[in-house]
Parts: sequence; structure tokens; C-alpha cells
Amino acid sequence: MSLPTDFFAEAHAVVLDLEVGSGVAAVEALHQRLVTDNDAVRNAAQFLADVRARMLLAPVCLSAELALPHARTDAVSRMMVGIGRTAGPLAFDAAHPDVRFIILIGTPQSAVTEYLQAVAALSRFFRNSAARERLLAATDEAEFRAVFAGSPAALR
Amino acid sequence: MKAATEGILMRRLLRLLRWRLWIQEKLQPTEWQVTLVWAAVAGFLGALTSIVFLTLTERVHDWYGSSHLGVVESMQRLPWWGCLLVPTLGGALAGLVLKWGQHLTRAQSSTDYMEAIVIGNGNVPVRGSLVKSTAALFSIASGGSIGREGPLVQLAAVVASSLGRWRKFSPPQLRLLVACGAAAGIASAYNAPIAGSFFVAEIILGTIAMESLGPLVVSAVSATLTMQVLTSAHVLYRVPTFQAVSVWEMPGYIALGLIVGVLAPMFLLSLKHAENFFVSLKLPLVLRLATGGLIVGAIAINVPEVAGNGYSVVVDIVNGRLLWVSILGIFACKWLATMASFGSGAPGGVFTPSLFMGAGAGLLFGTLLHHFFPGAAVDPRAFALVGMGAFLSAATHAPIMAVIMLFEMTLSYDIILPLLLCSVIAYYTSKSLKGSSLYSEVLKRKAATVPDPTLGEGRVADMMRPNPPLVFANAHFAEVARLFLNVRVNNLYVVDEAGKFLGVVSLHDIKPYLAEPDLAELVIARDILREDFPRVAPDQLLTEALAGFLGIVAERLPVVDHDGLLRGSLAKGDLLLALVERRKSPQGLPEMAPSATPRAASSEPSVSSAPFGSESKR
Repeated sequence: MSLPTDFFAEAHAVVLDLEVGSGVAAVEALHQRLVTDNDAVRNAAQFLADVRARMLLAPVCLSAELALPHARTDAVSRMMVGIGRTAGPLAFDAAHPDVRFIILIGTPQSAVTEYLQAVAALSRFFRNSAARERLLAATDEAEFRAVFAGSPAALR
Repeated sequence: MKAATEGILMRRLLRLLRWRLWIQEKLQPTEWQVTLVWAAVAGFLGALTSIVFLTLTERVHDWYGSSHLGVVESMQRLPWWGCLLVPTLGGALAGLVLKWGQHLTRAQSSTDYMEAIVIGNGNVPVRGSLVKSTAALFSIASGGSIGREGPLVQLAAVVASSLGRWRKFSPPQLRLLVACGAAAGIASAYNAPIAGSFFVAEIILGTIAMESLGPLVVSAVSATLTMQVLTSAHVLYRVPTFQAVSVWEMPGYIALGLIVGVLAPMFLLSLKHAENFFVSLKLPLVLRLATGGLIVGAIAINVPEVAGNGYSVVVDIVNGRLLWVSILGIFACKWLATMASFGSGAPGGVFTPSLFMGAGAGLLFGTLLHHFFPGAAVDPRAFALVGMGAFLSAATHAPIMAVIMLFEMTLSYDIILPLLLCSVIAYYTSKSLKGSSLYSEVLKRKAATVPDPTLGEGRVADMMRPNPPLVFANAHFAEVARLFLNVRVNNLYVVDEAGKFLGVVSLHDIKPYLAEPDLAELVIARDILREDFPRVAPDQLLTEALAGFLGIVAERLPVVDHDGLLRGSLAKGDLLLALVERRKSPQGLPEMAPSATPRAASSEPSVSSAPFGSESKR
């Protein structure tokens, strides 16, 4: 099964100008927004615990600017995504002091292909510096979402 | 700088993997195709060992005669004392080799390739086989009334077994490769690739399923081609063209089928009695084989045609070069000589002597019929040819193989209709008189004491391959890709630090993302593993394990014990082979006749085997 092209544009949660002091705090803030009023979340605490466990196993940053905390977990019933943009460079972990985007992904255990598809799509999308600039320049959520909506080919 | 270099390396690695996958998808060498390649190699090597053995036999023969003349002609030229001396000496030398070989092979298991295929693990001991074949060299080259096909098959089988062990084949694969070696040996001996394949399929494996027949055919063809290129291999029996068989001749052929169907079990029984007689003499091994040779030599003084495997005499019979009165005498003497050679334990086979018995019986009956009813047996030589196939069918209980072999050995299609009819009648007649062969009885007894490696009572642990390719849960995408590049598997097993099985990473899943170098450091095995992949337990029945392969596209399943630890993998190919082999389990063991008559085990070395080699009781 492939991801819908508007999957990121229709992200369940978008948080702009996150003001947090660490990667963990950023994940917690994003998680809080993601699980609110979300019927796909079966167990919010378990979801967060699984994301943290994954972060302990190996780094989750895809590039200097982008962190992809994620977990394949039974705590969610379908794949979901929450996108955050920090107010300024965030030291997500020791090796990544200038992270600007945090994308929290929850994937059901069985959705291996969708997970890889999402990660690969984000990798391609964020390689485009113009798109990154537009995301950084977006003044509101609608404009932010529109950047994703405007690049369906990159996110396929 | 370092990061840039790593990035370049990563991109190259992923590009390599993509290329490998592309090649793999285009060529798709499955496990079965790989098996076919090794079967061809086994066939080639089997033919080489046959050439070496035949060359050595000729060299030994040259000591007392000339290999250009053949054993019978050499024997004709010897004085009476020479006729006595040569086979006696040959028997004694064979006995000495076997006696000496006892020290080398004491700790080794049975050398019988049939046993290795049917109830063993495919392991044919090298030293024991070499000893046995060296002994056969002396008994055959010195004129013993025994066939040379036994050692040829034995040597080809041992080479195949060694090849399989070197390649670390699983027991079912190894058994199949040894079977391929045996097919190659028969194909080399008779220039008959189809019959070689069918001999092993019909008599040893008891099935003509393509899973096993395919590799057997490839091996036999490879061996035959090698023989044709490296030697002057040709049609074994050149026969005259026969007139189309008239319908009035059919009753005669039916009668021949009945006669041969009775004669073949009698022949086998006489060999068994002879064997018991020699054992009852309680002679030392060397003396016993020398006595067997002495008897053959004594008969050969007046009837030199009894010497050797009978090939040249069969050629004379089917071409009508011998009078029926001579054939009657030779027939009786050859029977006695074969009893002496086989009974004394001379290593070799009685397959070719069986052909002689069939040809002799066929010609005598055809001549008799022609005398009283000329229209019922227009050409008695055709009866000789049909008699060969029918005798083989009755003796081996393998009518398909017998018909094919006779056709391949003579390339005569003129007699195909009576041959088919006569072989089938002879088979049923023989089978009704003696339901099971000596070999199958012994094999069943042995099988009862050996755990069944095939399906049924077999467990996953019996067929498990150790050390499957695996990665740890936190291994990065790059490491996973690298491992996929190094090992030819479609699923990598993922374990934690304690060796506990977590799931598999599927090549199919990651294939579309190999062009994404950014994933190399972000994604780890745990992110993409499939926990729901089927697994089997070591103590699970193989029949149950088969169900694990249903509904998934996988060549192997992980074997996980009750503590969740990964123990190995179970290959679908092994399981399918075991399924094919199931028919030869003690209950489903195919009938085997003379060509496989074993000579029961004892403290003394395995001296010979019947037609295509098996164990001796001495």
C-alpha cells in the first residue's frame, strides 16, 4: 500500500515555532499535539515510550536540519505524522545542534513499506533547499502545509 | 572530509546492491538451478573417475593379455594353467586389498552409496570406497564373472558425496547429489544417460518427481558428454536391423516374458545360495576370493566366454554369431561362474552378467520356437535382445529403466513393442514370485534401526542449517544492505544481543529504497523488521513445518527454540526433497533387485555389492 500524496500536507499535527530546550522535549511537545483527539492512537503513553526507546537505539536525524523521531508500535492503528518547526536552531542531540524540523512518525508494526516510503519521501523532499526555505518562511500553518501540498512528486 | 568519503562509499555500496538485485532478478538462479549446476559438476567428475577406473582396469588386464582383445579373447589365448592362475590371482589380490583396507576403514560407516542415499545422510566414505574399488579392479581385470559398473557407480557416488560435503550441502541435498553421482556412474558405464537417471529415480529414490529427476538427468547427460568427448564411447551393443514384429510373434514374446520372469528370481536366488555356501566354508577372505577366481578359471579352460562381464558374448549372441548349442553350454557355465564370483564376494556388479542371462535365455527360447513355429519367431536374435531387457526388468523390478536402457544401449527401435510387453510381463511375473528383493529386505531392516531423516517422524532439527545470516536490531540500513550484498538470501534474520529472534528484514521491502543514501544511517533493522514472519521450532515435525511455507514467498524459515533463540534455518528445498524422498522410507521403500543385492554386514570389510554395488555379508 502506498502513502497518499497529501499525507504530509494533511499531517495530524503541525506545530510552528516550537520553543523547547532539547530533542526529547520537542518530541514530547509534538507527541502531545499528535495524540490529542486522535482516534488512531490506542495508547498514547506507550507510543511515547516506544519513540524514546527508538531514540536510545540509534540517532534519528536525517540531516543537520531534520530529525525524524519515530516508532513502529502497536500503540497506533494507522500511520500518523506530526510536524514541528522550531523557533530557532535546536540541539536535538550531541551530533545535531542546528535542527529546525522535527517530524514525529508513528507506524503500526505491520506497515514496514509505508514507513520506508515516508522516510524516503521526506529525505527527497528536504534535499530541496527551496522547499526548506519556504517551510522556514511560512508564517502560518496553512502556508506551511501548502509547501508540502505543492510538492506531490517529491513526496510520492 | 571523512563524512564525504563515507557518503561516496555508501552510494557505491547501494549501487552495487541494486546491480546485484537487477542481475538476480534477470537471471534468477534459484536453489534448484544451483543444484542443477552442481549436478552437472558431479556428472563431469563422475565420468572422469570412470575413465580413470576403466584405464586402470585395462592396464591390469594387459599384464596377462591385451586390452585390445577383451577378457574373453585374452583368456582363450592363455594355456590351461594360465586360465586357472589369472582369476585365482586376481581374486587373491582383491582379497588382500580388502583385508589391508580393513585397517583403514574400520571406523568408517558403510560404503554403500544406496544406503547413503536411502537411509543415510549422503555421506559415502572415501577410503572405504577406494579400497572397494581397488579390489574390484583386480577381480574384474583378472576375468572374474562380474560387471565393472559397480565400482564405476561407487566412485562417481563418492566423488559426488565429497563434493557435496565440501560445499556443506544439507543432508537432503547431499543425498540427491550422491544420487546424481550414481546416475553419472551408470550413464558412463553404459553410455545411457536416460537409463542412468531412471535407474536411480526408479530403483533408489523410488520416484520420478522432477525435483529429483531433473538433477539426475543433468548429471547423467554431463557424464555421457564427458565420456563421448574424452573417450571413444559409442553405442554399446551394435545390433542388426530387425523386421517389424508381426502380430503372430507376440504370443512368443509373452511366453518369453513369463519364462524370464521366473528365471530372474531363480538367478538371484542362486547368487544368494552361492554367497551362503562360500560363507559356510569359513575360509579367510583372501582364500575365499581366490577360490571364487579358481572356479571361474577352471570353467574358463573349456569355456573362456564365462570370463569377464559377458559383454562380448552378448554382442555375439545378438548378432547371431554363436550356435544355439554353444549358447546353451555358455549359458549354464556363465551362470555357475557368476555364482562363483559373486558368491565368493568378488567386488563388482552383476548387472552386465544379468544382460547376458537375458540374451542367452531369449535366444535359446527364440531358436526353439523358430524350430517348431517359424512364423512365431522369425528372427531368434530379436528374442535375445528382448530377453535382455525383460531379464533386467525382472531382476531390478524397474521395467521403465530396463526398456529405456536397452533402447539406449542398442538404439534399436524395431523391437520396442515386444520389449515393452515382455518387460512388463517379466516384471509382474518376477514380482509375484518374489515380492521384495534381497536389497530392499536388508535396507528395510537397517532403516528400522536408523532415525528416519525424511518427512513423517523427522523433526526440523534433523534438517536445520546452522548459522543463518543475521543482523542485530540496531544494525543500520547500510549494514543490512551490505549483508544482503554478501549473502544470497531474501530475508535477513534480526536478533537482539542475547540471540533472541525478533523478526526478518526482507530484501523485497528495502529494494525500492536502495537509491536513498540518506536512509543508510537513519533506518535501523528494528525499524523495518517484520515480526510476523513465520518460524518453526527445532522439535516440530517436518510435516508441520511444511505449513509454515504456505502463503509466503520464502526459501527458508527461521528455526527458533522455545526460549525464542534463533537456532538456524530450514530450507524449503530441503523440505521438498525430503517430501520426494518420503516414498523410500522403510514403509515406502521401492523394490530392488539384483542390481542392488546387498551382502549383509559382518566384521569383514564390505567386499562387494551386487549389480551396482552394495555390502557384502562377509
